[in-house]
Amino acid sequence: MRYDSVLDMIGDTPLLRLDPAGHGVPEAEIFLKLESANPFGSVKDRVAWALLRDHIDGIVADEQVVLEASSGNTAKALQIIASMHGVGFRAFTNRVRVREVREMLSLLGADVTEMPGLSECPDPTAPNDVFGVIGDLMEREPGRYHHTSQYTNEDNLRAHYEETGREIYRDAGPVDLLVGGLGTTGSTRGAATYLRERNPDTAVVGVVAAEGDFIPGIRSAAEMWEVGLFEPGFYDAIAAVDSADAITASLELARRHGVLAGPTTGAAYAAARERLLSGPGGPVTAVVIACDRMEPYLSYYRHRRPDLFGAARSATQDAAPSVAPEQMEAWSAAGEHVVVVDVRTALAFQAGHIPGAINLRDDLLEQVMEAGTPFSEASRVVFVCPTGDRSARFAARAAATGCRAYNLEGGVLSWRDSGRPLAGM
Amino acid sequence: MSPRYPLPAARHPIAERLLADGDAVREAIERFGSPLHLVFPQVMAENAAGLAAVLERHGVPYNIFYAHKVNASHTLLGRAAAAGLGADVTSEAELSRALAAGFPPDRIEATGPKSRAFIERIAALGVTANADDLWELDRLAAAARAGSTVPVLLRLSGFASPVVPPSRFGIDLADADAALEAVRRAPGLDLRGVAFHLDTADPAARVDALTESMAVVAAAHRKGLRPSVIDIGGGFRQRFVEDPEPFQRYARALAAAAPGELAWPGHDLGVPAAHKYGNHRPATEVLERFLTAEIERRPVAEVLRECLLTLWIEPGKALVDHAGITVAEVLYRKRAAGRDLVVLDLSRNQITPADQEVLLDPVLVDGRGDPLEEGVFLAGRLCLESDLVSRRKVFLDAEPASGDVLAFVNTAAYQMDLSASAAGGHPPPRKIAAILDGDRFTFAADTSDDDHGS
Repeated sequence: MRYDSVLDMIGDTPLLRLDPAGHGVPEAEIFLKLESANPFGSVKDRVAWALLRDHIDGIVADEQVVLEASSGNTAKALQIIASMHGVGFRAFTNRVRVREVREMLSLLGADVTEMPGLSECPDPTAPNDVFGVIGDLMEREPGRYHHTSQYTNEDNLRAHYEETGREIYRDAGPVDLLVGGLGTTGSTRGAATYLRERNPDTAVVGVVAAEGDFIPGIRSAAEMWEVGLFEPGFYDAIAAVDSADAITASLELARRHGVLAGPTTGAAYAAARERLLSGPGGPVTAVVIACDRMEPYLSYYRHRRPDLFGAARSATQDAAPSVAPEQMEAWSAAGEHVVVVDVRTALAFQAGHIPGAINLRDDLLEQVMEAGTPFSEASRVVFVCPTGDRSARFAARAAATGCRAYNLEGGVLSWRDSGRPLAGM
Repeated sequence: MSPRYPLPAARHPIAERLLADGDAVREAIERFGSPLHLVFPQVMAENAAGLAAVLERHGVPYNIFYAHKVNASHTLLGRAAAAGLGADVTSEAELSRALAAGFPPDRIEATGPKSRAFIERIAALGVTANADDLWELDRLAAAARAGSTVPVLLRLSGFASPVVPPSRFGIDLADADAALEAVRRAPGLDLRGVAFHLDTADPAARVDALTESMAVVAAAHRKGLRPSVIDIGGGFRQRFVEDPEPFQRYARALAAAAPGELAWPGHDLGVPAAHKYGNHRPATEVLERFLTAEIERRPVAEVLRECLLTLWIEPGKALVDHAGITVAEVLYRKRAAGRDLVVLDLSRNQITPADQEVLLDPVLVDGRGDPLEEGVFLAGRLCLESDLVSRRKVFLDAEPASGDVLAFVNTAAYQMDLSASAAGGHPPPRKIAAILDGDRFTFAADTSDDDHGS
């Protein structure tokens, strides 16, 4: 199909019926609303365009800068639309926690202000939050900025009411159950309002991350109760899903149904299936909102499921040459060049490390070593971790490439306990 | 009939069993009198095992210190010693009790503001000093003999993170360097590590305090000191209810109520704090949320292992959660000021700390019949208008009569003796240990008679 603007490609996303043999819920029709098929990759494309569509001419004319609180997909979509129109965009967020999301934003030229804090999703009611900063900015230079305000802007809801909800009804007919992740709550509330007008019995389940857990783009259970943002009466249930189940479910979607969707979609699918399986049964039509794609979360998957990335292979571990602290000291005393590589986190390294060591945390070193061994053959390289188990893997791999690599016996712990000094930063 | 707002308390199976065993409660009252505090050492052991299991599951090297100040009971203290816990003491008297209960000095930690005499005993015994101020460090340095290694923790405060609540305790981070220097120069002191305590269940606050504390650990290494402990204190909460809904419903009703409708005239109950009597999450969950929270995209438990630090915690409330109940006899019922009163042989300060209102309903032992339609106020026995055991209207689940026994559930944390007075010649209630042995309870006095009330 021919398009003249990428913005025309936003919306009207496919509704995919999942093969019942794959989802395994008797008598249920489960559909995925593939918001991931939007041109920039997420449900937020709709929101971003809905927030700007009616204002963009004025923003261009007045040379305004667009402001939004977003940690990911909304920022990405707004940045693209803003740069297509030649206007500036600034995103404010507590913290971008997923590497690919962060990298994508900088690739697109987004000006992101990170304000280390608590939550993936900002809390509009909290003081000193990103909203305070945005408010201050706008007050200082009236007229300079346009705040799209996805959390409070009715256009967010309206887009999902008029488009997402309508499309779902058009393609699926009356819906018994709608399940989606809760961030701004716009997609579930907007779409459900439309669907309930056609079928008042439509149950709506909002999905959050289990308390203390993290799933990109949605709130955690604790935040949900504490933040006065959403209307609890609107939802039939709030389902808390942990990241492990979200990942498992998204992998299932990829492997059994060919849908490459991110962990939030996995969480929503897991919650939908659980609700259907524990329900009364009988014929039911359920729709799960697939909000974005899997690829931007590879580091998230890698971090939580290193086993899927071959990290479990440890056959060479026994072959890791090891070295005792005395020997290491003797090499240095004899004038040899010894590189001590501490694979712990920066915090642990700063708090106390072997004097002269460098810090390359294990997950980053893993990536580096996929590309090759970054150490000179002229140096001896000693890998250290807390107790000497994790570093053995790196020593073995580096040694296998011809590097003079060793594992420090007993790690930093025995080093310390033998009375040797630690350096703090 | 006006709406009822019952606040049912979560009950441990042991308490549940005792409350249903009217004969056993009567026996206890006949032997030891009314009112009476009963503690359940078995529940404490269970709580300790629960917290230890969480720490072990996450592979964190740890020590648990029982914050003895939460309850003066010797039985509970002794049970903590038997369970292999350490003792957290706040005075010379508590220190003596801990030693008598069998804690060796290297399993005792002294916290809070300390007197000169207390500091001298700490130094002489080699008990770990959790220093609240530079003044204490100077006194400790003077008291510790050269060549001794009196273990010291620096209690830190003044964190920059806005989510960490401010505290009156501890050494400000700005003074941490001076504190480290004081320990380094003292020939008899050994820096064991750093400490903080936050009065919140928020894992993010503990994560921030932990992160900021690590700068002090690093500074200690720079000075050649060898810290190996991070002490995050207590604050793990009690689980007062099974379900937070009745509490929330009550809080809403209270906010909407006319003066004197749900509270005794002249008393404003304010906005009740949901994190206390509305809490249904166990302490193990608070601890687990902290251990699984992330620093640098890695769970705290793993970061602690990487930092080579042993985690110390000092739970008090969490260890004695559900480890005690308080029973009192109904003297008579009356009507006054247009309201129904149930008068008890108990005083308000003997059941609640610092004049806090208890937002849980007491239970009628062996209670029968229908729930009381109208709410009642529970009155104490002192000659004070303010001596109302409940200043809020309580909706009892059975009809009380003179001579019946009313039980207050889950009172072992601070409620038994933090504020108890002997006003009016009424000594604080006696305390006894109740042990479930097979299917019946055995009772034993908790304290010696010359130590009455503790």
